[in-house]
Amino acid sequence: MILLTCPNCGTRNVSEFRYGGEITKRPNPNTATQAEWANYLYVRKNVLGVMPEWWCHQSGCGQWLIAERHTKTHEVLKTYVWEARPQE
Amino acid sequence: MAIQAAVGRLPETPSQVINREKIVDFVFDGKTYTAYEGDTIASALVAAGVMTFSRSFKYHRRRGLLCAAGACPNCLVQVGDEANVRSCTTPVQAGMKVEAQNAMPSLDVDVMSATQLVDSFLPAGFYYKAFIRPQALWPTYERFLRQAAGLGKIDPDSEPGYFDKIYKHVDVAVIGGGPAGLRAALAAAKSGARVILMDDQSSPGGHLRYRMDEIDGLPAYEYVAKMAAELVGFSNVEILTNTTAVGRYDRNWVGAVTGNRLIKLRTKALIVATGAYEIPLLFENNDLPGIMLGSAVQRMIHLWGVVPGARAVVVSANRRGLQAALDLIAAGVHIEALAEMREEPDADLIRKLSAEHVMIFKRTTIKRAWGIGKVQGVSLESLHSGQIHEFPCDLLLVSTGYTPANQLLFQAGGKLRWNEQIHEFTLDMLPSDVFAAGEAAATHLLEDIEREGELAGLQAAQFAGFGGKIEKVTFLAAKVEERRAERIPWTQIHIAEDEAKKDFVCICEDVTRKEIKQSIQEGFDSVELLKRYSTVSMGPCQGKMCNINAIHVCAHYNQKTVAETGNTTSRPPVTPVTMGALGGRLMEPVRVSPMHDWHVKHGAVMMNAGLWKRPDHYGDPSAEVRAVRERVGLIDVTPLGKFHLRGPGVPGLLERVYTNRWQKLDVGRVRYGLMVTEEGVVLDDGVTARLDDDFYYMTATSSGASGIFENMEWNLQSGWSYDVHLLNVTDLRAAMNLAGPRSRDVLAKIIQGVDLSNAAFPYMSVRQATIAGIPVLLLRIGFTGELSYEIHTPSGYGLHIWEALLKAGEEFGITPFGVEAQRILRLEKGHIIVSQDTDGLTNPFEAGMEWAVKLDKQDFTGKASLLMANQKGVTKKLVGFEMPDGTIPEEANQIVRPGNGPIGLEIIGRITSVRRSPTLKKVIGLCWLPTEMSEPGQEFTIRVRGQMKTGRVVPLPFYDPDGLKLNS
Amino acid sequence: MWKLIRHGLNGNKPLPRMWRTHDLKDSYDVVIIGGGVHGLAAAYYLAKYHGITNVAVLEKRYIGSGGSGRNTTILRSNYLTPEGVAFYDESIKLYENLSVDLDFNVLFSQRGHLTLAHSDAAVRTMRWRAEVNQIQGVNSSLIYPDEIAKLCPHLDLSEHPRYPILGALYHPPGGIIRHDAVVWGYARGADERGVHIHQLTEVTGINVENNKVISVQTNCGTIKTGMVLNATAGWCSLICDMVDVKLPITSHPLQACVSEALKPFLDVVIVSGSLHVYVSQSDRGELVMGASIDPYQSYSLDSTLGFLESLSGHMLELFPSLSRVKILRQWAGVCDMTPDYSPIMGFTPVEGFVVDVGWGTYGFKAGPVSGKRMAELIATNRTPDLIAPFYLGRFEDGALIGEKGAASVGH
Ligand SMILES: Cc1cc2nc3c(=O)[nH]c(=O)nc-3n(C[C@H](O)[C@H](O)[C@H](O)COP(=O)(O)OP(=O)(O)OC[C@H]3O[C@@H](n4cnc5c(N)ncnc54)[C@H](O)[C@@H]3O)c2cc1C
Ligand SMILES: [Zn+2]
Repeated sequence: MILLTCPNCGTRNVSEFRYGGEITKRPNPNTATQAEWANYLYVRKNVLGVMPEWWCHQSGCGQWLIAERHTKTHEVLKTYVWEARPQE
Repeated sequence: MAIQAAVGRLPETPSQVINREKIVDFVFDGKTYTAYEGDTIASALVAAGVMTFSRSFKYHRRRGLLCAAGACPNCLVQVGDEANVRSCTTPVQAGMKVEAQNAMPSLDVDVMSATQLVDSFLPAGFYYKAFIRPQALWPTYERFLRQAAGLGKIDPDSEPGYFDKIYKHVDVAVIGGGPAGLRAALAAAKSGARVILMDDQSSPGGHLRYRMDEIDGLPAYEYVAKMAAELVGFSNVEILTNTTAVGRYDRNWVGAVTGNRLIKLRTKALIVATGAYEIPLLFENNDLPGIMLGSAVQRMIHLWGVVPGARAVVVSANRRGLQAALDLIAAGVHIEALAEMREEPDADLIRKLSAEHVMIFKRTTIKRAWGIGKVQGVSLESLHSGQIHEFPCDLLLVSTGYTPANQLLFQAGGKLRWNEQIHEFTLDMLPSDVFAAGEAAATHLLEDIEREGELAGLQAAQFAGFGGKIEKVTFLAAKVEERRAERIPWTQIHIAEDEAKKDFVCICEDVTRKEIKQSIQEGFDSVELLKRYSTVSMGPCQGKMCNINAIHVCAHYNQKTVAETGNTTSRPPVTPVTMGALGGRLMEPVRVSPMHDWHVKHGAVMMNAGLWKRPDHYGDPSAEVRAVRERVGLIDVTPLGKFHLRGPGVPGLLERVYTNRWQKLDVGRVRYGLMVTEEGVVLDDGVTARLDDDFYYMTATSSGASGIFENMEWNLQSGWSYDVHLLNVTDLRAAMNLAGPRSRDVLAKIIQGVDLSNAAFPYMSVRQATIAGIPVLLLRIGFTGELSYEIHTPSGYGLHIWEALLKAGEEFGITPFGVEAQRILRLEKGHIIVSQDTDGLTNPFEAGMEWAVKLDKQDFTGKASLLMANQKGVTKKLVGFEMPDGTIPEEANQIVRPGNGPIGLEIIGRITSVRRSPTLKKVIGLCWLPTEMSEPGQEFTIRVRGQMKTGRVVPLPFYDPDGLKLNS
Repeated sequence: MWKLIRHGLNGNKPLPRMWRTHDLKDSYDVVIIGGGVHGLAAAYYLAKYHGITNVAVLEKRYIGSGGSGRNTTILRSNYLTPEGVAFYDESIKLYENLSVDLDFNVLFSQRGHLTLAHSDAAVRTMRWRAEVNQIQGVNSSLIYPDEIAKLCPHLDLSEHPRYPILGALYHPPGGIIRHDAVVWGYARGADERGVHIHQLTEVTGINVENNKVISVQTNCGTIKTGMVLNATAGWCSLICDMVDVKLPITSHPLQACVSEALKPFLDVVIVSGSLHVYVSQSDRGELVMGASIDPYQSYSLDSTLGFLESLSGHMLELFPSLSRVKILRQWAGVCDMTPDYSPIMGFTPVEGFVVDVGWGTYGFKAGPVSGKRMAELIATNRTPDLIAPFYLGRFEDGALIGEKGAASVGH
């Protein structure tokens, strides 16, 4: 079973977490074109490799965190809260 | 008279596991047998002279004990209501009812065995090529074929039994308690790691448990018992016997089964020391009863004192085969002949065998076995000259090859490669947290096995953060590497070229060599395709017995090397596991309100609402509706999601998660709120009350509760940085709704601290008060359309308040009401239920809730989607309707018009809610209609139980359109 | 049959190969990526109906190694939306004739399909589907426990379970099939008509010039072509990345398992959405079982213990007498999930690059119709009406298809 490290609770089984999906960038809803908005809503990179994604420590402390996980080996390279995310 | 399995046993020896003091009776195929405590079903049956254990899957051939290691399909039996029990690993219990499987009508007379007579018409992939025309007859053929399928039987009345699960966490887990595993566990234990050792047998020792040869001056079984005893002395070691590790999953998550219990183990380091399987050899009639693997014979003799024959032929290709021959002699069996496939077999053992006057044929193999119903003789063939020698026998011992039990290593992502030098799969690579030792890693000499075990133990402990000096580890590794080259070369599979009638590659599925050859000719020439087409290795042995042989045969006919041919994927579980053990005890949580027992006691018919139990009604939902409309009713709404929101940022958060406006909600006021997804789809609704400057109270639907809470948390934690503290109080608070024209009168009797008058406490406001001494939150809101109050209170007081209200309401005719009455009441009022009246694509404009969407807000979840939806306009609408003729349609009936569909209809809408209104005395409901048909007065056609009925659009709400009652 | 008997009498002379191996040609008229049921069916129908035979099917492993050889083989057409029903119904009809069409018995067993309802809401959804189905001419109805008991006596239909069975959607034409046989049958049919099937051939890149596909790169060489069909299911995003076509798709594992063989006792296919299980008993006697997708994106084919645990627990809620039945084998596949549980079929912004993807957990049943209609699309260069609703642009146009309720665990 995949292991994820919650910043508050430590390393836990993935069964304690709710998946939040790929991190997406939300366009400004007031100016977004239909295409941009649809892109944000539906299009996913679906990478084979490491990607940052949301998880919520649902059966634990409730923290939302970001995990950088490999989508094939399931290795989790890093987890962190939003504020601690690497700056683009 | 019971058949004695006690006679003819060998004298008692310390390696035996039977207790001769305790005799147990059991039944096999209608006859009673006796056995000793400690016997397996198989050992007792063999002792009693039983040779046929089962009938085979396809040809219904007789099959007898073969591997005695729980791997092969031959000894599968039905034990009571349990199908497919491995009789060779299942201890006999008094009174057990054992039956043979797949025998029609009986083990001795099986009519289906006639299929083998026509086998040349049953080539590989037979079914794909037969019964194609006429197409109409296929179902009939299929029914016939299906009758022949399957092995054991299901008993529909079988009791579920008790199963459970346990978690374990260790530093080092060792799977397999043979010499490699024991050494590994000892080494890891000494370095201080917490260690678990698992073994699927009743005691550790592995293959040494049934070996007599001397090691360090002790018989093998004593030598290994000493090792095990040493391990018992460690307080940081747990030894689990009768425990089978069935799967190694992601991050060293290991599933293991012991009896009816599933163990879920997380280990920092895993050592796989699962040994090897002995595998059968290919030759004509290699499946006759009386043909046994060498290790099976040794197990029979040394563990249970059972001799499986009187006159034996031995076919050997390794040291263990010769040892088994010596064991047979010691057990008083006469050896007719010994065929040794190697040119230069172990001289020490050959000398001993010659001294016993065994006729030994070197460089000789077996060509075929013969016999009616059991082995009666064999033809041996010299690999030099081709000369044939025939011998009669009643036991054929075959010991020609082992294959590593490396499934767990494979599952762990280990890379295995066929090693042409030693004819086995060896390890190229293992993940850093997995280690292998002993025969599982294709290491066979005991000295090497033990060293490798120790090495693995040290490395694993070190990986887990314990002891162990690097120098020592590398030193050992070097030694083991040196040793590898000295290992005994295991024999190649010998593939006869003649068109032997029946030489089985796969005994589970009755796949012969010829069928494999045919499959390859047809293009199924990769092992994975071959497996799927011929079904080789798809049976109960999971490939343990047949995989290596199949790969060889495949390589042979493709004229490729085994290495080029590769291996098939090994899939968990390693051995079949009961669904009971995997499922464990039923763990479906039930959520109940603090008033639950009261409901049950008062005749409530309970229903499931997600995880919750709720009263559907208390006998007469219509009467409950009337009570609310005319007098007063009380409903338990505890399952509502309930949240505390505190902090200056709350209005900002609410603005974001709801579609409507929240900046100006005064303290003491309540507002309805609608939530949509980013796609603009209606998600949930509820109310939020402002209790204080920085303190809000929110409710959500019970099914939405946890998701809504997490989504709000996400909003807070994903950079929106609202200064809000959220608390989910769903479980901490009981809630009930007091509804009806007399509700104020009821409350007035028992409430303190609040002025209930309409002016002081109007509709859509909130007050904190006390009822019967208990603090409550009072929200003047209502789903029912009547004057009503929702009362929220700490859970522990829920029942107290509930009863207090009922008591106070007695004089007004108060009635508890359930979900059904509430559904009618809300429908009369035209309120929607999210996900019943809406679906996965509904936006608020279609649902008639545009009033709750404020598109001029700066931003909110779903804003852009709703902007676009608004621009597009709506093509369909949720509207109220009534049935002029009084027909009650069913929810989900379709609204249609004539069209060119198969029955001349086109779907244009659907009914989502419908009831006969006890208040309005007519049939009312909500439905989806195309916008152009949604004006009040318009009529439409509903298909109700196949009949066409007319509905008419009417304005909403049906009841009290001006809201006079609510505001009274 | 006579062929077989003759073969038997002939002393089993070598059988002809089902499909041949070829060297990769320099160019093909059509290159189909993915040797699953969708890719092979498209190749077959291109050759059969449109005479387009200069076609290559490129498969990175062996044919059927993707979802097509890993699915639980449930076929049905009782979908929720009219678009869905019409589409899947054509597929079932093609399946009904497939053994004869391919001269290969695909063992289609129309044993009836039951979708259980454990709540009022589920009963309502089942009725919705039944009503839509009936209007579309599909045999489907809502039945109640007494009738369910007749079809499946081993189910626990009492009040005792945590979620008692309140009703079921009964779909008699639904059933199971031998998935591999479908794959092999199409492969043979395509091969006979001249299509080249290249196994162990992985597409590693696609070259586009002026927004037009010009060639495909593989581990075995480059092929010139003006028409590429992406039929790679779970891996489709990776292929689309090569031409920069964006997809609303995420890949999730879906797991399944089989029990040891048992004497037949379960005649119908049982699906329970709320308990997340579906089960049928194959003609070999094994119970074939599955659940819903793993909740996270992944390309991993590893199985999990958690799947076996929850599946078994739920199975035993439905069938308490099976607690001593043993699981023999588990596996996983990768599913290409779309937001509306409907496929994406048709043209893309890149000329000469068409897709047949988004098959999620339910695409095996659609193999024949997709193959036939995608072949038509490629041959005629226009979108057949039947698949028009499934166009890629629907997400931008806000024209999603409302199958979520019917397909999420339905298969
Ligand atoms: C466990 C499970 C149960 C299911 N149950 C059902 C069910 O009961 N009923 C149902 O209808 N559907 C079911 N499905 C879904 C169904 O299996 C799939 O939707 C369907 O098989 C998809 O077929 P396909 O031909 O599009 O893709 P696939 O069969 O997946 O074939 C795609 C092929 O593309 C190949 N490929 C990928 N990348 C490349 C590349 N770069 N180059 C060359 N080749 C490549 C892959 O190797 C693969 O063979 C199930 C799926 C799973 C996993
Ligand atoms: Zn946590």
